[in-house]
Amino acid sequence: MATLVSSNRSRGVKNSLAKWLITLGGISVLFTLVLIFLYLLYVVKPIFESAQIEPKVSITLDLKANDKVLSTGVDELQEVAYQITETGNIDFYHLKASAPKADNQFSVGDNALSMSLFASDDLNQERVTNVVNSFSANKILHTAKGNTVLIQPSFYAKYANDTREIIPQVNYPLGKDSLIIDEQQAPLSNLAFAMDDEKIVFVGFTQDKRLIKTSFIAEDDFSSSSDGEDVEYETIFQQIELLEGKVDEIKVTPDLSLAFIRVASTVYVYSLSDDDEVNLKATIKPTLDNNGTYLTSMALLSGSSSVLLGDSNGQISQWFEVATEAGRKFKQIRSFDARGIEGRNSQTSNAITTIYTEQYRKSFYTMTDNGMVNVFYTTSSAHLWQGKLGSAQPEAFAIAPRANGLIIVDNDSIDGKKTNLQVFSVHNEHPEVTWQALWQEVWYEGYPEPDYIWQSTSGSDDFEGKFSLVPISFGTIKAALYAMLFAVPIALTAAIYTAYFMTPVMRKKVKPTIELMEALPTVILGFLAGLWLAPLMEEYLPAIFLLFIFLPISTLITAFAWYNLPNHWKDKLPETLAPLLLIPVMVLAIYAAFALSGVLELAFFNGDMRQYLTNDLGIDFDQRNALVVGIAMGFAVIPTIFSMAEDAIFSVPSHLTSGSLALGATQWQTLIKVVLLTASPGIFSAVMMGLGRAVGETMIVLMATGNTPILDWSIFQGMRTLAANIAVEMPESEVGSSHYRILFLAAFVLFIFTFIFNTAAEFVRQRLREKYSSM
Amino acid sequence: MISISPKILTPGSDIAIEKKLDLTNLTPEQVALDINKLNLFYGKKQALNNITMSIPKGQVTAFIGPSGCGKSTLLRSINRMNDLVDDCHISGEINLHGNNIYDKHVNVAELRRKVGMVFQRPNPFPKTIYENVVYGLRIMGENNRRKLDEAAEKSLRSAALWNEVKDRLHESALGLSGGQQQRLVIARAIAIQPEVLLLDEPTSALDPISTLTIEELINDLKKQFTVVIVTHNMQQAARVSDQTAFMYMGDLIEYSDTNTLFTTPQKKKTEDYITGRYG
Repeated sequence: MATLVSSNRSRGVKNSLAKWLITLGGISVLFTLVLIFLYLLYVVKPIFESAQIEPKVSITLDLKANDKVLSTGVDELQEVAYQITETGNIDFYHLKASAPKADNQFSVGDNALSMSLFASDDLNQERVTNVVNSFSANKILHTAKGNTVLIQPSFYAKYANDTREIIPQVNYPLGKDSLIIDEQQAPLSNLAFAMDDEKIVFVGFTQDKRLIKTSFIAEDDFSSSSDGEDVEYETIFQQIELLEGKVDEIKVTPDLSLAFIRVASTVYVYSLSDDDEVNLKATIKPTLDNNGTYLTSMALLSGSSSVLLGDSNGQISQWFEVATEAGRKFKQIRSFDARGIEGRNSQTSNAITTIYTEQYRKSFYTMTDNGMVNVFYTTSSAHLWQGKLGSAQPEAFAIAPRANGLIIVDNDSIDGKKTNLQVFSVHNEHPEVTWQALWQEVWYEGYPEPDYIWQSTSGSDDFEGKFSLVPISFGTIKAALYAMLFAVPIALTAAIYTAYFMTPVMRKKVKPTIELMEALPTVILGFLAGLWLAPLMEEYLPAIFLLFIFLPISTLITAFAWYNLPNHWKDKLPETLAPLLLIPVMVLAIYAAFALSGVLELAFFNGDMRQYLTNDLGIDFDQRNALVVGIAMGFAVIPTIFSMAEDAIFSVPSHLTSGSLALGATQWQTLIKVVLLTASPGIFSAVMMGLGRAVGETMIVLMATGNTPILDWSIFQGMRTLAANIAVEMPESEVGSSHYRILFLAAFVLFIFTFIFNTAAEFVRQRLREKYSSM
Repeated sequence: MISISPKILTPGSDIAIEKKLDLTNLTPEQVALDINKLNLFYGKKQALNNITMSIPKGQVTAFIGPSGCGKSTLLRSINRMNDLVDDCHISGEINLHGNNIYDKHVNVAELRRKVGMVFQRPNPFPKTIYENVVYGLRIMGENNRRKLDEAAEKSLRSAALWNEVKDRLHESALGLSGGQQQRLVIARAIAIQPEVLLLDEPTSALDPISTLTIEELINDLKKQFTVVIVTHNMQQAARVSDQTAFMYMGDLIEYSDTNTLFTTPQKKKTEDYITGRYG
């Protein structure tokens, strides 16, 4: 009895242990799947969040009675802000208290540096009328008497006692003396400028109503000295012919190529690239809503291609040059409504007073007369934020260099005695991504029309990211479909032949051999497809198409000949070896196809089928195209489909086939009417498994598609798939960036694709099984 | 097993007495199948040894014998189902209307239309009841709806299934019970009007009630067809057949009318078998 008990106990322990282990295993698989799903969602989620603006720091400024803030700014880390006043002073303020042990103790709002920007004696006592920003850190101060100084507030970090302290300073890239912009030295009412290392272009409108362009061309380059004392340059003065009226606003593109001059509701675009002559390039006349509406402001979008025009009715339109049949023309691309739901009903003025654009991205902020601030993003047409920040009309407004903060200087009391500098933190990490921008046509800068484009990165900082998931999702489906087109007929006929017609001896050898193909690393297939098959196909294109005809026909002819061969001939070859007869036939067919390739090209395709396709038929031909991918990925998918379909056909109960044959059906009729019908659930899931594999396959498509994200069904064009796209771009995307998160979204979409395919497959399979099995 | 009423059990049923045939000396009109010196090998193993027998027309002939005696093999030779088995070689001949079915020019599909077969396990196709019955007609190219309907009803009535399924002809055949399925398979086999119907242990997978139904059906079927049945249930052979052949180890031991075989067997082996000494 004792042994019985102990043996029972150990058996019980083993039993429950096994039960727990299996349960644990099962649950952890499910848990991991859910975790992957949730992690993907977690990474993707921020791109669909809208912008948030929150107050961060507010300090009260100490201003003289008759002074006024004209401009403001902040360093990259938002630790020191500055303001420039009408009297030509710049004051830097700490926005962050010092570390407790620092040598130099300061707290929030303490003055870090305060100085007059007019270092030269002849500028003293002047009042600044214009502070002009450029897309770089440089600013121009223009005074009432027509003097001009180029300044550059800058910051450097000092490390004392292991704590970082931001030290502000002001550079004068062109020296501290007044610059001569106007030959006649008249005061300017409007001024704009842009500069690069070798050239500065000023476009100004004098108070005596002359529109002038002045270029400084450096002998060496402008960045060679920091204080600007030694910089030597040549000045070219030009006068621009103005058609009418008084200039309201001037903008110069940062690449120094265009000047936008707004005269009331018309914008004149001048080309600045020619140093001898300034030509009117285009005129932009927006059609405004109703008769009373007029343009109120203008701004250049980062990247210097687009101009934004705001009107008195709260509408902003984006314009850029588009290639048309009549050359390049400025076109209105899209418009934004800054009124919001609230503003549309209110009686207050919605006129856009100012448009501020970010330095690197296509975001812009608008101020309206009634004090509303709106945040938009052009590419995604997104209205990101609307609300009020401080008082109705700020004295100065600036966007932090990293676009993660705003500085607003305003008066919060009626008599203007108390001036506040407020810093807001802006959470607007992924303005370029909206559901619409991912899945719908978007009109990108410089494109002739809205389109689906995937182009995630480029060399320049102000590049407009094009994140349409349509071309890569399309590529995935295209690659999978071409692969299935190649694989399904071959795999299924092979499965039918092996399971239903082949002798058992042969089957025992053939089936494991084909299944072994599945173990072939796909990187080898991709490598062969990309480096061997693709060039071969390009050279012998007619041969490839001939093969699709020759191989089936030669096989059929051989089979027919074998069938009609006299028995005494047949008997000499064992039945199991008979299919081997096909090998020389196929070799011969392949040889014939390749031999005929050149002849065909000469006879029908003017000597080169590829050239003929491109030049005569107008079909673009990529070396790595859907045909290559179809064949290579088809090879990868064939074993999967073959193996499952063969099992399904082979496991059709023999009493069903016997039943059919006993009713006088031929083998063929039995196959079509009974075997395939009964095996259909298995065959269907085999095909779906193959499709699932083709959709998720990475290495082959990575190496053989050319990775061109184009939307084209053509068999001679490449594609880029979701999986390959992730593999190609993940290493180069910055962690946490929009690009990074969109790649995760692509992974999520891929996940959903396979999920849908598998669920649909399983659903259909279950239905088929209910109908056709229970044998 | 089912309790057998003495009336059915008695082999000397009226018909058997009336038409007692001389099996060794049948007129050509009386013969349905003539098996002549049939040898069958599975690879090197001989499964049938020199079988010679004549199966009379319009009667029920039963093959009995212990497992592995070759009775099923013999049955399957009659419609060449053994062709499907690899390494199966046959010599000798089986004549249907004086034509050897193993002749080179014989169309096997055509032969099987004339010699229908019902298997041990019910094997309806995963189709509707209707489609199962008309399957044989459809593969012969018959698509006339009216003809198919007529044939389906007629066959189902002959198979005593019509009343049970007439309201659900277009439902899956897989929903039928085992006995119904087997009658459906018989209906399917007789729909193409074969001359000979081979039944390979048709009731071995069925319950006693269904078995009884099938047995009654077999009695009706012989009015239209020549029936050959393999069974290892001796009572069944006694109940349904007119002639019985006893096979043992691939040899045809004894072949005579059922009554004679079961009451006065001529061979020792037959007697041993029917008295239950082996099997």
